[in-house]
Parts: sequence; C-alpha cells; structure tokens
Amino acid sequence: MTALITLEGVNKHYGDYHALRDIDLTIDEGEFFSLLGPSGCGKTTLLRTIAGFESVSSGLVAISGKDMAGVPANLRPTNMVFQSYAIFPHLSVADNVAFGLRKRTDLNKQAKEALVADALDMVGLDGYGKRAAHALSGGQRQRVALARALILKPKVLLLDEPLSALDKKMREQMQVELMRLQRHVGITFILVTHDQEEALVMSDRIAVMFEGHIGQLADAETLYRRPRNRQVAEFIGKMNFLEADVTAMGDTISLQVQGLGGLQITPEQSPEVSEAGQAVVGIRPETLGILFEGETTDRKLAEGVVDEVVYYGDMTYYDVRITGVERPLNIAMKNIIGQPVLDVGAPAQVIWDERSLVLLK
Amino acid sequence: MSLRIYAIAYLIFLYAPIALLPVFAFNDATIIAFPLSGFTTNWFGELWTNTSLHTAVKNSVFIAVMTAILSTLLGVCAARAGAMAHFPLKAGIMGFIMLPLVLPEIIVAVSLLVVVVQIFDLGLSNWTIISAHVLICTPFCIAILNGAFQNLDPSMEEAAMDLGETRFGAFRSVTLPLVMPGIISSMLIAFTISLDEFIIAFFLSGVSPTMPVYIWGLLRFPASLPVVMALGTILVALSILLLTIAEILRRRGMARAGVADKGGFL
Repeated sequence: MTALITLEGVNKHYGDYHALRDIDLTIDEGEFFSLLGPSGCGKTTLLRTIAGFESVSSGLVAISGKDMAGVPANLRPTNMVFQSYAIFPHLSVADNVAFGLRKRTDLNKQAKEALVADALDMVGLDGYGKRAAHALSGGQRQRVALARALILKPKVLLLDEPLSALDKKMREQMQVELMRLQRHVGITFILVTHDQEEALVMSDRIAVMFEGHIGQLADAETLYRRPRNRQVAEFIGKMNFLEADVTAMGDTISLQVQGLGGLQITPEQSPEVSEAGQAVVGIRPETLGILFEGETTDRKLAEGVVDEVVYYGDMTYYDVRITGVERPLNIAMKNIIGQPVLDVGAPAQVIWDERSLVLLK
Repeated sequence: MSLRIYAIAYLIFLYAPIALLPVFAFNDATIIAFPLSGFTTNWFGELWTNTSLHTAVKNSVFIAVMTAILSTLLGVCAARAGAMAHFPLKAGIMGFIMLPLVLPEIIVAVSLLVVVVQIFDLGLSNWTIISAHVLICTPFCIAILNGAFQNLDPSMEEAAMDLGETRFGAFRSVTLPLVMPGIISSMLIAFTISLDEFIIAFFLSGVSPTMPVYIWGLLRFPASLPVVMALGTILVALSILLLTIAEILRRRGMARAGVADKGGFL
C-alpha cells in the first residue's frame, strides 16, 4: 500500500472559528476511508479541502506526492458525489454522465458514448441515458452522480453524505453496492458520514472527528472494541460506564470497580490511563449477559434487579441495576430457545468478563 | 354571490378604460364620444406616415433595449452574489440596491437632471435616459432573477468545476442555462417598464422625444386624439404579448429546474 493522500498539520480558520485543527492523515491507494463525526465536526470541510473547494489556512495537502496548494478543483485528480447529488437538471442522464468528457479532445463521439454506456451499466442504470435528469428518483440520481464521477477514472472519489437523502431500505442496498463498486474499480473512496453504522460497515479505516480534530483513526473493529478515549467510546455504539479506582499500574493493572469489585486487566485495555487514581471502565452491552436458572458459568457474576425490558424479537435489551451502582447497566441479549424473557423487578445475575473492559479517563 | 359581483365590478373598473382604446381607435370620428359613427383603419394609416412619431418610437425602442440588457446584466451579478456569496453587510447592501423600487421617479428625474446638466455640464441624450432607466429597472430585474438564482443548488457550479470546468466555464455551462428563462423574463420586464416610462424621459430627453413624451405632446391637439388611441391599442397588445412570454418562460424555467412553482411575478 502506498500513500495516495497526505495531510500534514492542516488547519482551517473561518474568522474566529477553528474548523480544522492540526490534521495529520495519510490515506492509501485503493482504500475505503471514512470521515465520521457529529455535525459541525469539520468532516465535510476536510473533504472539501481535498477536493479543492476550500483552501487550507496552514499545512500541506498532497495527492500522489504532489502539493495541491493553489491547484483548483477542476485540475485535481479527485471527483465528488455531492450530498444533493447536484445532477444538472437541464441535461439528459447521458449528458450528465458525459459532462466531464466534454474537454477530452482525444476521444471521438463513439468512444465517449461507449464510455457513458459502460458507466451507466456499472451503476445499474443501463438504458436510462435518454431520460431527463429531473425525472429521476433519489436512488437513481445518486447512481447518475456516481457514474458521472467514476467515468473520469479519478484517483480519489469523494462522497459527501451520499446516503443521507435515501430511505432506510435504499440506504442499506446502496451501502452494499458502494462497497462492491469500490472493489470493482479499485479507486480510493473517501466517505463523509455522521452515521456510525454506515462507516463501520463500509470502511477499511475510519477517522472519528470532533470539533475539528481527529479523535481516533482505526479500523472498525479497533474503533469499536478499543476506543481511545471517552468521547470516541460514547460516539461509537453504546457503552456502560462504571467509576473505577486504579490501585496499581504495571504489566497488569489492578483496579477497584464500582459494583464489580477488585479486578485486573492488561495494559492494552488502557489506551489513555497511565497512572493510579480515579478513572472509568467502559463495557459494551453485548459483552454482558444474564445467568438464567439452571445455567452455570465460569465467568464472574454481579447481583442485580431488572429495571427495564425492551423486546426486539431477535434481541432483548435489559436495564439491570446492580448492587452499589446508581445507573442501570444496559445489557443486550440474543434470544435463545429455552431462555425466558425476564420481567421488570425480577432479580438477575449479570455475567461479566474483565477481558471486555476498557479503562478510560 | 356579492363577492362575485364585487369581483366583476373590480375587473370592469380595471380594464374598461383600456377596452375603450381599440373601440375608438377604429371609430370613424375625431371626437372621442358615443355613439360610434363607423369603422375605419385611417388612424392606423396615419401612424404609418407620421415620421416624427417613427423617430420617437425608434428612440424609445433603442432606450428600452439598452435598458433591458444593462439592467439585466447588473441584476444577474447582484442576484448571483445575493444567492451564492457571503460577504459582510450583505443584507444592508441588498436592501440598498433595491431602494429605487420605492423611490419616486420625479425625484430620480430631477436629481439626475441636476447632476447631468449642472454638475457635469453634459448634454441630454438617449443615454441620459438609459442611465436613469437602468437605475429604476435594476431592482425589478434583481427581484425576478433572485427567484431564478435562489432555486439553484449551490453545489451545481461546484459539481461542474469538479468535473473539469473552470469557474467561468461552470457558470456558462450550468448556471446560465438554468437561469436563462429568468434572464429573458427580466429583460422583457425591463423593456416594458422602460418603453412606457414618462416622467424621467420627459425631464431627461434631449431634442428628440421618446414615444410617451411624444404622445403627451399630441394630446394638446384634439384632432390627433384618435391617432393616440390607435398607438395605445398597439402598445397594449404588445405589452400583453411580452408579459405572457415572460411568464411562460418563468414557468418553463421552474419546471426545468425541477422545483415546485411558488407563484411568481404574475
């Protein structure tokens, strides 16, 4: 893998507003990369600085080793799928897709038409070329936007919240199609999204952004299982937090956890805590369980009372108040044959495992 | 029921005087009064042979065409900046350039006369009228073009640039075609306003008057009243035609941009 895009110390100011803070980032060739974060975190601004629609206040943006300072959007080897798709309504589908080929003098009319047909075929719009662009549905517009960008064979395809305008079913279908398309064309995709599920499902690597800086840059599994700080842990998925008191640091970390008692974890489970003192542990709901009558376990148990039950068919979500802890723990249980669904107020034995804990500040 | 009577009375009040124009334009009598005395096309014939009227019409058309082009050009710049750019004091500036819409024309006429003749010591010509007409027409053009530009997705131009066009190329290949109906209807409105504008033209015209000023001059001679009626008839027909074209183009533009029609100028 070679680095295709390099960002070094990128800052962007809008007057007093600091939109991007010291962004360092390399994105590899052929990678599906996501910029994930809440609205206003700077992810779209970062995408637009790569596209050339925004200049940087300081720092370096390089594509294929070439400094992009002063290079306008039309001369960069990037193409973009806009959030609104920006399909030209006065042109037909084929003319929209062929728009970027208009400046190409090395291709004759037949060659251009063949390229357009291929591009439309690739996004599943075979035979739609003659249609008027303004008569298309949301999903079809998105496909036209993809074909229009990919026909130019850019080094990088930039996608600005491309699925946010679609309904849930269409969104899930397009997620799969985008992944298939990316593997097929082998082009680097950079996706901007506020939808963590979308980012986790599709990306090779994800940069989680908060207030203009990158909170964590990792693959989906690391991001989910080993969040680097509390902000990332709270943003990605659900997490229970329990107060903890770190008593000894070393090859193993000893701590006293509220409700769970004394336990030991490995240094890999502590990305940011490096000295003894007050901290929190994070536990994902699906790493907890409930021990039903007649079952046995070699894992550890905590006594509690069911506070809330939400039955989802395949899953049951419990809130269980364990002894000595004010806030109930969220537990996600897969529904298995023979296991009952507990009622509110029923006593419950919560199964937990120190290997699934993360120690955070 | 009473609402219907009111509506009918209202329409008669509005349009009956205009409906009388063609009636007397074809009436075979120099006195404008009922009963009608017979059908004639003489008055239209007289229009055809009156060379000083032709000069006045030529002046007016020249002024109206130049006004339409210049004020629409200014309107495009202002509307695009208003819809797409962000700059300090934007709301204040936009309000300020719309001000001539409510400025009394007599004020504009007198102050321009003072500026042109007293301060700069220039002669009056068609161009002094054009400059004043551009002043009063530009706010109308901005109002019409604002609609066209506000309906435009700002990502459109960026998308065109992303696909290899320069900034100007993107404007020409994407923005311009999409706002073209707005531009044409803006030019038609400016043309219509300028063509029949009287007060400014009266103050600022040089030796050769514009058509409305010439008509006003004709009114001093009762015998030429039917000729004015004939001219008026042609003007009314022309105005209706132009405004209809403007509205059709506006609607077509809305449909092309794929947005819902939210009413409009007419």
